[in-house]
Amino acid sequence: MFCYQCEQTMRTESGASCTVKGVCGKDEATADLQDVLVYQLKGIAQYRAGLAEFGMTDGEADSFVLGAIFSTLTNVNFNRARFVGLIAEAAQVRDRLRDRYTEACRGAGKAPATFSGPTLFQPAKDLHRLLEQASAIGVRAGVEAVGEDVIGLRALLLYGLKGVAAYAHHAEVLGHTRSEIANAVAHTLDFLASDPVDLEQMLQEALALGHANYVAMEALDAANTGTFGAPSPTAVRTTPVAGKAILVSGHDLRDLHALLEATNGSGINVYTHGELLPAHGYPKLRAFKHLVGNYGGAWQKQQDEFSRFPGAILMTSNCLLEPQPLYRNRIFTCGPAGWPGVHHIAGRDFKAVIQAARALPGFRTTEPEHTITGGFGREAVLGVAGQVIDAVKSGALKHFFLVGGCDGAAPGRNYFTEFAEGVPSDTMVLTLGCGKYRFNTHDFGTVAGLPRLLDIGQCNDTYSALVIAQALAGAFGCGVNDLPLSLIISWFEQKAVAVLLTLLALGVRNIRLGPTLPAFLTPALLDILVQRFGIAPITTAEADIKAALSSKAA
Amino acid sequence: MPEVTLETRDNSQVVFSCPEGQFVLGAAEAAGLYLPAICRDGVCGACHAHVSKGRYNHGPIAQSALTDAPSGGVLLCRCRPEGDLVIRVPYPKEDIRTQPLVPRESTIVELTRVGAGYITLKLALTPDPELGIAAEFLPGQYMEVGIRDLPLRRAYSLANLPNWDGQFEFLIRKKPGGVFTTWLDKYARVGDKLQVRGPLGRFVLDEISPRPRCFIAGGFGFGSVLSMLRHLAQFQDTQSTTLIFGADQQHEQFGVGQIAEVKAALPMLRVIPTVWYPRAGPNGFARVLQEFAALLQQSPEHPDVYVCGPQEFLEGVRAVAGTHQVPANQIFTEQLL
Repeated sequence: MFCYQCEQTMRTESGASCTVKGVCGKDEATADLQDVLVYQLKGIAQYRAGLAEFGMTDGEADSFVLGAIFSTLTNVNFNRARFVGLIAEAAQVRDRLRDRYTEACRGAGKAPATFSGPTLFQPAKDLHRLLEQASAIGVRAGVEAVGEDVIGLRALLLYGLKGVAAYAHHAEVLGHTRSEIANAVAHTLDFLASDPVDLEQMLQEALALGHANYVAMEALDAANTGTFGAPSPTAVRTTPVAGKAILVSGHDLRDLHALLEATNGSGINVYTHGELLPAHGYPKLRAFKHLVGNYGGAWQKQQDEFSRFPGAILMTSNCLLEPQPLYRNRIFTCGPAGWPGVHHIAGRDFKAVIQAARALPGFRTTEPEHTITGGFGREAVLGVAGQVIDAVKSGALKHFFLVGGCDGAAPGRNYFTEFAEGVPSDTMVLTLGCGKYRFNTHDFGTVAGLPRLLDIGQCNDTYSALVIAQALAGAFGCGVNDLPLSLIISWFEQKAVAVLLTLLALGVRNIRLGPTLPAFLTPALLDILVQRFGIAPITTAEADIKAALSSKAA
Repeated sequence: MPEVTLETRDNSQVVFSCPEGQFVLGAAEAAGLYLPAICRDGVCGACHAHVSKGRYNHGPIAQSALTDAPSGGVLLCRCRPEGDLVIRVPYPKEDIRTQPLVPRESTIVELTRVGAGYITLKLALTPDPELGIAAEFLPGQYMEVGIRDLPLRRAYSLANLPNWDGQFEFLIRKKPGGVFTTWLDKYARVGDKLQVRGPLGRFVLDEISPRPRCFIAGGFGFGSVLSMLRHLAQFQDTQSTTLIFGADQQHEQFGVGQIAEVKAALPMLRVIPTVWYPRAGPNGFARVLQEFAALLQQSPEHPDVYVCGPQEFLEGVRAVAGTHQVPANQIFTEQLL
C-alpha cells in the first residue's frame, strides 16, 4: 500500500504516506485495488484516444471512468467488494473499446497501434493474485528510475484529475456533460499511461487540467442552478425541530432532491450536514418545507454527531468515516460512497431510509432557533456589486479574504478560525467548502451595510467566487491579482487539489495553503510553485493577516 | 476524593471521581460513563480490568470470575478505591458508552421448544413514541433479558438481523436447573412481557478483514454466529466462510433449519457438521477441536476465527489455533457465562 493523496496522510521522520492502513480507515487491500482500477482506467483512456482518431466517442466509457475515479477519492468508498466489481467492469469496458478500435482500424485498412501495459492488463480472478498485481502498478511505480520529483508531479496530475472527475460526475447526474471535460479526463489518463518524465511538460499538463476543472465547476454550477435555481441568501436553522428525522450528508444535490421528494408529506424532517448546507440557498430545494435545517459541523465530527442524531442518515459522497456501532444500522450510502456491511442505496430508492427514520425516535423537542446565513452565490453577490464597489472606492471596505476549502481534524486548522475572526472589521470574508465550519457561527456583523461573511457555497462554487472576482476586477479595471483580495485555502482531499490547479491555471498568485502542504509535492516541486505562483504555506494568523494587508495596500 | 484513571486499549484516558467505599463501576456510571458489565455482582467477569497503580479493596467475587487477582486483576463492580487508582481496561475508549441503556418492554411473540434442549424466543418491542421501535444491534451482540421488577437478568445473543420492526430473536439453550430457562420452558406464554436492555457486547464481525472466516458454534453460542452468517448472506459476502457446527448428539435437529436457510442465501458457505460431546476435561469438545485443527491444516491462509462458548471450550480453540500459529488478533471470542 502507498497512498499520500490527502492532507492527513501519515507523517513520520522517514516520509509522508500511509503504507499499512490509511489514516482515513482505508485498508491495504482496498488501497491496492484502487491502484489497480486507476491503472485500468489508463488503458481505457488509451483506447479512447485510438477511437478519437476515427472521430469516434464512447459516452458509456466516459461515464464509467468518472464514477470509477470518484470511488477512489478520500473518504468515499472503503468497500473492497465494490472495487473487485469495478475492476471486473473496467476490464469489460476496456475490451469493448479495444474491439471497437480494432474494428475501426480494420474498416479503415489501418494496422492497430500497439499500446502500453494498461491496455493489456488482465485483472486476476481472485483477490490474492489481484493484490499481487497491484504491487507493481501503484503511484510509486518506477521511482528508482525517474526520481521523486517525477513521481510527485504524476501524483499531482492524478489527484487533481480525481477532483475533476468528482465535479464532473455531480454535473453528469444532473444531466450536464461537456465533451471538453471527458476529453481532458481521458487525455490526462492517456498522458499518465505514457509514464511521463518531463517536469515542465507535466506542469503544463497540470495547468491544462486546472482549466478543465474550471469547465467542470462551470458545468456543475450550470447543473445546480439550472435545476434548482440561482442561490440566494438564506438563513438556515441549525437547531432541531421536533419530529422524525433524516440527515443527508456528502455533496450531491440530486440525491438530496430525490430524498426530499420521497419524503414530501411524510412528516419526516430532513436536515443537511456538512457540504450540503449550501443546498438551502437553492430556491427549488428550500421550497420543500420539510427541509428544516442543517445539523452539526464539518465531516470530521460525524462519528460523534451521527451517534447523537436520532434518525436515519444518508451519505451521498464523501466524507465518510467508519460508522460507529451506535449508528451503523441507520446510516445508508448512495452514489460513489460505501462501507462494508453498511446498506447501500441504488437507484435513489430511499424506502429503507424512510422505514428507518419512522422506526427511530426523532427529535423530541423543538429547540430555540439559531441560524447561519448562506446562499451568497455569484448572482446574489453581483446583484449588490454596485454597493460593494462603492464601499471599496470610499474606503469603507478595504480588503476581501477568501478563507475556505476543506475542513479536517488536524489541530493546526484552528488557524483558519483565528484568521477569519481576526481580520479587521473593514474587511469581508468570503468562504466556501466545509472549511467554513471553522468560523461560520461567529457573528461577523456588517461593513458598509453588507454582511461581512459571505458563504458562497460548496467547494465547487469556487467557480462563483472566480466569476465574482473577475467581475470586480473588470469594474476596477485591473487584474484579479491586483484586487485587494487574499486567498487563504484549507485543503484536505482531491477536489481541493483540482481547485488549486484551477487557481494556478488562471494565474492567481500568492495563495496561502494549509494546514500542511501536499506530501506529494517534493521540495523541488514546491520551489517551482513558489517561484511561478507565489504559493506559500500558512504561518500564523496574525502574521499572515498582516502580510496580506501590507502587500495589497491599495 | 479518590480519582480513577482508566487507560483504554487505544491509549486513551478517562478520569472520574470515586468516593471511598463506592465500587468503581457505580462511580463511573454516576459520572455518565457506562463500562462493559453484566451481572454487577462479582460473578460473570465482564467488568474485568487491571489495576496498574493504587490501593483498593476487592470482593466478594466468584472464584471462576477472576484468575489474575495477585497481579492486579479486578472486577470493577467489586473494586473499591482506597486512594487514586490507575486501571487498564481491555477495550478501546469507544466501548465506553456515555448514554445509559434504557430497559425496554417487549412482548413474547413466539416461544418454541426445539428438540430436548433448546428454546426459540422471539420478542417484539413495545412501541414507544419517545424511543421508537428500531431493533438496532450489530450481529454478534446480545441483550439482557429480564422480568420486570425481579432481579433476574440473563444475557442472550441475538440470532436475527437488525430491523426496524422491533423484533428480537434468541436461540436459548436450556440450562438444567437454570431459573430463567426453567421459567421460559414451563411458565412463560406468548403475550407475556419481558424487559430487554442493550445491545451489548463486542463480539462482532471485522468487516474490513480480507481473510477467510471460520465460525465455530453449536449448542453454545449459535445465536450470535447465526446472526453474523445472516448478515453475510444479506450482503452477499464473497469471502471463503466455513461453519463448524457441533450438535449435542447425532441427529440433533437444533439449528438444522437455520443453517439450511443461510446456506441457500450464501452458497459458498461450507458447513462441517460434527458433534460436541460437551464436557470439561481432556476429551471435552474433542471432535469439534479436531475438525478445527483439520481446517487450519488445509487452509492456505489463516482464517479469522469466531467462536462463542464456555471458557474451557475457548481455551481449547485458542490452544489449537496457537499450535497452528493463528495470530491472536484473528481470534474473536465471546465467553458464555
